[in-house]
Amino acid sequence: MKSMRHKWLWLFTVSFYPSLVFGEIPTFTIEIRDHLFYPSLVIIPANTKVKLIIVNKDASAEEFESYELNREKIIMGGAKANIFIGPLAPGDYPFFGEFFPKTAQGLVRVEP
Amino acid sequence: MLGAVILVLREVLEAALIISLLLALTHQLNKKSSWLVPAFIGGFSGSGLLAHYAYPLADAYDGTGQEWMNTGLFMVVIVSAVIISVLLVLRTFSIFSMERERAESFILQTSKQMPSLLFGFLCALAVSCAIAREGSEIWIYLASFINQPELVYPALLGGAIGAGIGLSLGALAYYFFLFMPIKIFLPTFVVTTLLIVGGLAMQIAKELMQIGVLNGGQPMWDSSWLINERSLWGELLYALLGYEAKPTGVQGFFYALAIAPVIGACAWGIVRKKKRPGSHEKTRHE
Repeated sequence: MKSMRHKWLWLFTVSFYPSLVFGEIPTFTIEIRDHLFYPSLVIIPANTKVKLIIVNKDASAEEFESYELNREKIIMGGAKANIFIGPLAPGDYPFFGEFFPKTAQGLVRVEP
Repeated sequence: MLGAVILVLREVLEAALIISLLLALTHQLNKKSSWLVPAFIGGFSGSGLLAHYAYPLADAYDGTGQEWMNTGLFMVVIVSAVIISVLLVLRTFSIFSMERERAESFILQTSKQMPSLLFGFLCALAVSCAIAREGSEIWIYLASFINQPELVYPALLGGAIGAGIGLSLGALAYYFFLFMPIKIFLPTFVVTTLLIVGGLAMQIAKELMQIGVLNGGQPMWDSSWLINERSLWGELLYALLGYEAKPTGVQGFFYALAIAPVIGACAWGIVRKKKRPGSHEKTRHE
């Protein structure tokens, strides 16, 4: 009975996390310092699922937001967060920090 | 300061529409609105807890805790609103073939048979989860200014203005719903609920794509030319109904899934009416 349950759990995990269990996901790290993104330009491959790691070095929280990427996530001060994006068509996808939008601006460029 | 006004306004509007809609329904059905007290207490304490435990929450489940929590809160709002709407549609569909006075007395009679405790519980659940989610984001936002004394005052003032505008619009929406005749209010309620739960379901899909559980893929369409998400209307529609200019197929599927039960109930109402034509005519002449 127990092994049966494990089997289902395994099946569930495999079917739900295919890209996490198999395939390598390209990862890019962006830092937030003094309400600015470093680097502010991230170039990623087209039609590929990509993982962004946002490291917030500021003491204050920030919200990573992008209309074009359709993403929105709070990153607490001193913490880091993972955000998966794509697969995307080639083009420019701006993002910004919603809490400090004047300074925190960046761009994801998708190249073929 | 303007940034704070807009951010807080956006969060308050999302919760205010749900509160106005359910409160108007409560009064239209002549039910007690005492569920509002536990809803507010639960919502505010919930928002405080979510903001206080934001760090461990964000780290939970390999850094996906925030998304799973949002998914859970959205789910509760969706399920509560859908149950209320389905019950409402099934019990009151027949009023559309009635005259106004008879429809009103029928509603009063029907609402007496509706279980008050369940109704109040579902309303309280939906409202407290909506307040908890939106509120926690406001607390985290305002707390991020604590380290910068020169920015605290404008942020608090902006937040207060944003909350004021949001609550005023919510009150306006409430009276707008309240003064509708019941035959207009009920369809308005059902359609608005469909739009709200559909929008929330799309947000669930977004949360799951964000943590890589679901794959994004290409958008189904791009309606930026019609309503840009950055425009005032785009922002307003996003806050109220979860509008997105470029939704993906997965989001469309979640949308359809969320609205299906209520659409099904409406379809069943139509079928039932067709099967027994004139059944209400009979009762009217009795």
